[in-house]
Amino acid sequence: MASTTVESGAAGHGAEPRGKRAEDGQATYLIAVAEALWEEMERDERVIMLGEDIGVYGGAFKVTEGFLERFGPDRVMDTPIAEETIVGFAVGAAMEGWRPVAEFQYSDFMTSGFDEITTVLSRYHYRSGVKTPVVLRAPSGGGVRASNFHSVNPEPWFAYAGGMKIMCPAFPSDAKGLLKSAVRDDNPSLFLEHKALYRRIKEHVSEDAEALIPISSAAVKRAGDDVTIVTYGAMVHKALEAADTLAGRGVSVEVVDLRTVYPMDEETVIRSIEKTSRALVLYESFHFLGIGAEVASVIAEKAFEHLDAPVMRLAPPNHPVPFSPPLEDAFLPQVADIEAAVDRLSAW
Amino acid sequence: MAEGRAAWLLRPEGLVDYDVANEAMHDLARRRLADEIPDAVIVLQHPPVFTAGRRATADELLWDEVTVAARGGAVRRIDRGGSFTFHGPGQLVAYPIVGLGSRPDAAAHLRRLEEVAIRTCADVGVAADRRADVQTGVWVGDDKICAIGVRLLRTRVTLHGMALNCDTDLAWFDGIVACGLPDRGVTSLARVLGRDVPVAEVAPTAVGHIADVFGLTFIDPPDDVVRPFVAAAVA
Amino acid sequence: MTSIQMPQLGETIVEGTILKWLKNEGDEVKADEPLFEISTDKVDTEVPSPVAGTVTKLLVAEGTTVPVGTAVMEIDDGSGASGNGSSAPEPAAAVPAAETPAAAPAQPPAMGASAAPPSPAPQVQPSGQPAPAPSVTMPDRGPRSNILSPIVRKLAHDRGIDLTTIAGTGEGGRITKADVLAATAAPAASSGTVTPLPSAGPAAAAVMVAPPSMPAGQGEDAQPMSHVRKAIAGHMLASAQQTARAWTMVEVNVDRLVRLRAEIKEKFQANFGVKLTYLPMVTRATIDALQQFPLVNSRLDGENIVTPRFVNMGIAVSYDAGLIVPVVKGADGMNTVGIARAIADLAARARSHQLQPDEVQGATFTITNPGPYGSLVSVPIINQPNAGILSLDAIQKRPVVVEDDAIAVRSMVYISMSWDHRLIDGELATRFLARVKHNLETWDFAEDLGL
Repeated sequence: MASTTVESGAAGHGAEPRGKRAEDGQATYLIAVAEALWEEMERDERVIMLGEDIGVYGGAFKVTEGFLERFGPDRVMDTPIAEETIVGFAVGAAMEGWRPVAEFQYSDFMTSGFDEITTVLSRYHYRSGVKTPVVLRAPSGGGVRASNFHSVNPEPWFAYAGGMKIMCPAFPSDAKGLLKSAVRDDNPSLFLEHKALYRRIKEHVSEDAEALIPISSAAVKRAGDDVTIVTYGAMVHKALEAADTLAGRGVSVEVVDLRTVYPMDEETVIRSIEKTSRALVLYESFHFLGIGAEVASVIAEKAFEHLDAPVMRLAPPNHPVPFSPPLEDAFLPQVADIEAAVDRLSAW
Repeated sequence: MAEGRAAWLLRPEGLVDYDVANEAMHDLARRRLADEIPDAVIVLQHPPVFTAGRRATADELLWDEVTVAARGGAVRRIDRGGSFTFHGPGQLVAYPIVGLGSRPDAAAHLRRLEEVAIRTCADVGVAADRRADVQTGVWVGDDKICAIGVRLLRTRVTLHGMALNCDTDLAWFDGIVACGLPDRGVTSLARVLGRDVPVAEVAPTAVGHIADVFGLTFIDPPDDVVRPFVAAAVA
Repeated sequence: MTSIQMPQLGETIVEGTILKWLKNEGDEVKADEPLFEISTDKVDTEVPSPVAGTVTKLLVAEGTTVPVGTAVMEIDDGSGASGNGSSAPEPAAAVPAAETPAAAPAQPPAMGASAAPPSPAPQVQPSGQPAPAPSVTMPDRGPRSNILSPIVRKLAHDRGIDLTTIAGTGEGGRITKADVLAATAAPAASSGTVTPLPSAGPAAAAVMVAPPSMPAGQGEDAQPMSHVRKAIAGHMLASAQQTARAWTMVEVNVDRLVRLRAEIKEKFQANFGVKLTYLPMVTRATIDALQQFPLVNSRLDGENIVTPRFVNMGIAVSYDAGLIVPVVKGADGMNTVGIARAIADLAARARSHQLQPDEVQGATFTITNPGPYGSLVSVPIINQPNAGILSLDAIQKRPVVVEDDAIAVRSMVYISMSWDHRLIDGELATRFLARVKHNLETWDFAEDLGL
């Protein structure tokens, strides 16, 4: 994954109409997300979608292109530019028995609906006993030269609110299977798609409409013996690239992809540490209080006796995502940074 | 064998005055540090001289300087690592002036010097080896046959090197505590083999091993580089 | 601020002496200008400055010897925040994090702050403090030799290992998990638990007495040893150093076995689902001899000789990662068919990495079988803590003198044993091997094979 490739972000740049896989049957991350939505809409007519420009325009990233024609304006609703309203509408619809999937153009704008998300959506079931099966979808993450209003990783804010499941898949198959699980889950969830992966990652994705990935299950994406890298989202791909190089130098790296960041699959993480005794936690949310801070704590608490070196973290500083390409590259962990961190960890 | 890095080989004839050789060696090393010249290896013999490295202490010189002078020798304090040693006729001295690259590994350089001596000894039928338990250098049993001492410029370019006793007059070593080790002896190829082993017999194979072990291909240096050594030859 | 460290001039050089400061506090320095002279064993050098700036502090006195990586000088290079400057040649050993407290660049407390954002850079924060010094006094084998990680403590505790006998190969001499496994584990180390050696002491220490480094040069490749390879190396060296190994060989006429096998091998495979080889027959004959001479089946535990009343037969199996010794438990209760099936099962699972940890523990005696590869005579290393290891080499047709001084062609094999002279003497070893020979030459295996 070349971090220097520029994706213009908003609407209309190189979008692929829904359902169009590559000739060899491989699906991009974006197509996998669109397929998951399409299949769930087909399967259950209580599933509805709402968001800014998702209907006529087909969505900022063209994920929902063609949905309006197929499912009609009652189930594919364009909304005003009013995030708080989008969330409030979704919560109300869920209370009435619908299963709404709301799209945010960028995850940066989820905070415009912060109060509705954190004090209404996340708590409503606790408060009233009424189920709120809402999915909030949003493109997140940096590395696409989109500066600090279009690059955030908001997962720690909403994980802290409690009450919502938060998924950050790295692969098309995981994105499709997890999104379908989220739509079917009776709890509210945030589904954070990494925009740098939308068109850059492609793989064979099951066409079975019942192929689900369970929420809160991490996956070992590469097995190794010497060092574990625990990560998620776009960083998974950088970790795998670093692991390839490190293998050439005789360092065997295991890569654990969390897939769901909350509630976290602690067991898979701990099992890996039991094997390698060395942990690098790699994450794209900010270093201080980011998701990886929790991963490191879990390892220290529950796998202490298996550690042969301190748990190390590699993450961007708590700082706005820079716009300047060299600065953004310096801000985000790069493959070389990961290799250097693993080298330090294995030499410890 | 793959072609190595090009390097100058200097083999001045006869016995080369220590001070002249030392100065010429430093001059080459400074030019090597500035990347003006390729690696260079000097192979020569000196007239009798005791040299004291930075770790040498005064009491390790057992003869006073008058005695040393009376016997035709000299004493020099120099900038290499290690203690006292002796150079003189019958001893093959090699000074590799090589760049160690951006991650210099001085220990590996010492091991290469040892390797050259071990292979050279093997060629004439002497089984010599390292003594990791004692000290850098090459040994036949408890006796040292090849002394090694090195200096680096800015950690990157090597100076000094190795001294292999071929048919050195070992009586000279009575004048010092060689290498700071009072209870170890010295020996020579001649003593081990019980026959004359002139430097001229050993030098060609030693040069070959230097090329192999250091990965060098020797070329002739320009005349102006050779001249000081020729002028300094005293015998 | 840049902190200048004692440079690492090669992996085996662990410390250096400051001979002379060439710059004093307050002096200006240019990049690559010599700062000080150091001396290590046989190598002296001047150390150049990685930065331009002003010397603010000399941290040690001339003549002091410090470990590689120790900060010795500080230079103000105008960068403000303190960083670790390595002197020119990038010392591989970093200063332990604990030595630069509070030195991390401060991050802005809030994004709204008006101050210009600091240059962003991914943060790697290794470690906090090193683990506290252990309660036992560790020998000083490097600046970090007294740091014991949780897993190292746990392994040492679980396996009863004296850590003072292990020299660490980690940074600064720290004992790593791999060191503990390599020093103590049986070949199955990678699969987790293994039987600790009766005493890891001298062997473990000896493993670490490395010859001088001779790194790969031109035309050579260097590969790090795998964990399994390290474990095998530790185990083999420990055995070579801890046992008083002697060796005895007999020659056995296996003509009858060869003919029997040729006759029944198809039927055997059809009946029992495994190939019939000579190994189970030799194993069966050896078990009988072990029962006759129990001392060969024994082991030393301190000054006690422990003699099991059962035979757990270790069978050396080579596989892709090296060598492993799965154990046929309770082999003395099995007939040849049972042994054949047990060996086939263990060997197959060894090669597919499916052995359970307890299946490679508890051997009371071991057989190795290099014969299929063509070896005529082998001198194996004893699988500790066994008293002996029997080697079955290749069966060959050889001219032999038979009755009435006639010369005839017979299938012959050399069977030998490496044995520990601390437990066994030559007479016993020879009588034991004679019994194995007698069994193989006289037994009618057809019955034992159920055919």
